[in-house]
Order: sequence, then C-alpha cells, then structure tokens
Amino acid sequence: MGNLIHPDFKRSAKSLSGELSIQSLHKQYRLERNYLNVLENINLTILPGEFVSIVGPSGCGKSTILRLVVGLDSDFQGRILLDGKPITSTSTDRGIVFQDHRLFPWMTVWENIAFALVNSDLSSAEKRDIVALNIERVNLTGFANAYPHQLSGGMAQRAAIARALVNEPKILLLDEPLGALDALTRLYLQAELQRIWIEHRSTMIMVTHDVEEALFLGDRVVVMQANPGRIKRVVPVPLDHPRDRSSPLFHRLKDEILADLIDTDSTAEAKRAKSLALRSDLG
Amino acid sequence: MGMVFFKRLKGLVLPLALLMTWEMASRQGRAYALTFIPIEKIGRSLIEITLNGELLTNLLASLGTASTGLLIGGTVGLGLGSLMGLYPRVDKIIGPVFHSFRQVPLLGWIPLIGLWFGNGCLAKTLVVCLASFYPMVLNSYAGIRNIENNHLEVCRVLGASRWQTYRYILIPGSLPFIFIGIYHALAFSWISTVGSELLFTAGPGLGGMMQTAQMAAKMDIVIICVASIGIVGLLMNVSLAKLSGHLLRWRSTR
Repeated sequence: MGNLIHPDFKRSAKSLSGELSIQSLHKQYRLERNYLNVLENINLTILPGEFVSIVGPSGCGKSTILRLVVGLDSDFQGRILLDGKPITSTSTDRGIVFQDHRLFPWMTVWENIAFALVNSDLSSAEKRDIVALNIERVNLTGFANAYPHQLSGGMAQRAAIARALVNEPKILLLDEPLGALDALTRLYLQAELQRIWIEHRSTMIMVTHDVEEALFLGDRVVVMQANPGRIKRVVPVPLDHPRDRSSPLFHRLKDEILADLIDTDSTAEAKRAKSLALRSDLG
Repeated sequence: MGMVFFKRLKGLVLPLALLMTWEMASRQGRAYALTFIPIEKIGRSLIEITLNGELLTNLLASLGTASTGLLIGGTVGLGLGSLMGLYPRVDKIIGPVFHSFRQVPLLGWIPLIGLWFGNGCLAKTLVVCLASFYPMVLNSYAGIRNIENNHLEVCRVLGASRWQTYRYILIPGSLPFIFIGIYHALAFSWISTVGSELLFTAGPGLGGMMQTAQMAAKMDIVIICVASIGIVGLLMNVSLAKLSGHLLRWRSTR
C-alpha cells in the first residue's frame, strides 16, 4: 500500500507542523509460542492539520496504531515519524482521548484538566487562563468544580477532550471517543469535535466503528482489515466541511466502505472456518 | 441533614430503654441491687472519680497508649503495605513472612511480649502497634493494587514523573482503602489497648483501673470504665467518619 495523499487536501495553509508518517510498520504479539501479527506493513502519511478516520473490524489493530503513535507501546518494527522525528516514548506534543474518559475520580474537572499541565513551564496564572479557555472550548463552563461522577457520559468525554487539548498537541489521537455514548449525544459531539478541529487546526486521527462518523469528520477514511491487521483501502472524502450527511456522494461512500467492511469480515470469517476445518482434519 | 438528626433521635430510644430497665431492676430488692447498681450511686461515684482526677488520669493513659501504638504501627503498616503494593519484589520477599505472622492471633503474642518486654508501658504499646499494623498493611496494599492501569497510562501520556504519579494518582487513588485500614486500625488499637491493660496491669489505664475495681467489688467503677471505653470508641469512629466523608467526597456512593 503506497502513501496515499488526498489530492484536494487544502487545509495545510496554517499549521505546518503535525505531519505524521508511518513507514512499513509491523507489530506482533506473542501468545505462548506463537506470534500473532497485529499490524502488517502499515504505510500512511498524514498531513499537518488533516483529519483521518480509521475504521475496521474489531481485532484489526486500529487502536494499536494509536497506542504506538502516542508512545504507550514502543515494541514494533518500522518507523513512526512526527515532523520527521521518530517517536520513542510519550510526549505532550501528542494527545489522546480514550473511549472511557479516564478522568481521575478524585479530581474536579478543573483539576483533571490542569493535571495535564503538571510539567509545563507556564506560570500559575497562565495555566489558570489556559484551563479556563479549554473548559470553555468544550462547553463545560460552570462545571469546573464538579467531580467526574457528577457528569454525564458526554460531559465527561468533553472534559477528557479538554485535558488532551490543553497542551496544544501537534496531533490529537481519538480512540473511539464517542463509542460509549448514546446516539443523540454522539451526533452532538461529532459536531463539537468538528468545531474544535476547525478552531484548533491540529492533526487528528480518530478510530471509530461508525462509518458515518468516520465520513462526517475525516478528510480521508482508512479502511482496515484483520488477521493480520493491515490497510485495505484509503478513501478520500472530497466534500466540504461541515458535511451534509444526506448528500448522494456521502451515501455512496458510506455504502462502499460498509461493503468493504462486510467483505473483509466475511473473508476473515471464512478463513477462520477454514482453519478450524483444517484443525479438525488434523485432529 | 434533617434525616441524620432524625436517625440520631431514633438511636437514643434503645439506650434510654436499657437505662430504665436497669434502674427498675436495681429497685427489685437487695440481691438485685448488688449486680444492678442504682444509677444514682453510679452517678455519685462518677462525680467523685472525676473530681479527684482518677478517671481522667487513667483515660489519658489509655488514650496515650492507643494513639502511640496507632501512630507507630499504622505508619509502619502504611509504608510496608504501599511498598509491597508498588514493588512485586518486596511483596515476594516480605509477603510470605507477613502472612504467616498474621495467622497468629494477637493474644497469642502476649506471653512472648510479656517475657521480652515486661508488663509495662512498652509491652502495651507494642501490642497496640501490632493490632493497628496488620489492617494498615493489608489495606494500603489493596489500595495500591486497585489503582487502574488506565489511570497510570494517562500519567505516562501526560509525562508525569514517578513522584507526580505517586502524589496525584497513587495516594489519592488508594485513599478509600487506606481509610478502611484506618477504621480497622483505630478500632483494633482501642480494643487492644484495653485488652493489654487488663493483661499487663502495671501503670495507669482504664483496663487496669477496671481490674482493680473488680477485685475490690466496686461494681459502679467497673461500669463507669466500660461506659467510658464505649463512648471514647464511638467518638473516635464518628470523627473519623466525618474526616473520611470530607476527604473522599469525590466518591459517588457513601
């Protein structure tokens, strides 16, 4: 799979940093004596300020890519470069939002967000301003002193987004951030994410199960398949933001990607059935 | 808050009923009056030993033993439990020894402690230390172990140092368990203080005072001692509940 770059990509004007380049990335897990190929030959270049969605069946390694990019796991082959520099461990120039909000229950919304600045050189007054700004940015004004258990799922996830944004990361990774929310909250937060992306203009990568969500937000949609995890196709989305979910092209792309996913799913299913049959033959 | 007040009132019903039964029993004749000392007589003795300072001296001595033991045993327990929770190697080396020692009931140590450290203040404090040590080790260990890996990952992503992780995640995150440990340690330290005073009779203390009174057949003094022990224990528990309620206000339940 070559490095596909969306041709009509036009948003790189402002931010020149935040270019992510993944080159022949391989990742294996060891299961007793067998090696399981989680990711096989992933090549992907993401432009500064681009929004890329990744969809795929479960087990295709899409969340693993984010863990590698954020630096939580450095056991891989290949290269991951951010603005030309290889990623070796975690850093505040990369932020992540997980599916579970992962706020610390013993800290208020304010304290949770401020904790992200724990090693920043800013003065406490500057920190205060930045935290307040980010609380406002995710529309949580008035909830600064609430504890996570007092928030709804959507509000907690917004606080988690603010915590990830507070360091102004060059790249924001979103690991199924809206996956645990109800449908209505999800729609609302998709629009919010888009607004934040347009205002913030950092590179964003979102892993999701929801094809419509991937198309609504992504400049490109990366379709992955499992066993081993690899990129099947990269779909450019030549539609202007904010997108009209009812446009014919939107629908066509959605149908195509869904067909891709169902296809990979059924081939994976067939493979599994085959190997089972093989095993029972041997047994 | 109104509900709490109402509950307190309800809580007073049973003690009042018991007091009335007691008083009625004490009026059933001389034989009864030996066991069920009239409340009025208990009251008079109470005033007497309060005014001559006997009650206060012994009460303070017991509180001193309890708090010294709790402080030393609890702190050492908190440290050891945390180390065992943080470092698997420490757990592997110390864990087995700790868990075998823990199988010996506290009373089982008394003869040994008596032989080694006599029957005075040191021996008593040591018993209390042990009593508060065990629950603190177990609960601070559980507290550290119950920290979610997810939260530690967030710390790594945000670049928090080891110390910052300790200060902002491990300590507050294990606080609910540490408080359970303190609850148990507090209760055990008070119980073991009185227990050790009954067994090691040298020096002042409510336990010793009680035993002396028992031998002199001063039922009223014994009852005053029992009541003081109960009331002090209750007060300690209530104030700790207030403190933990404040420090753990971030929790959704309780």
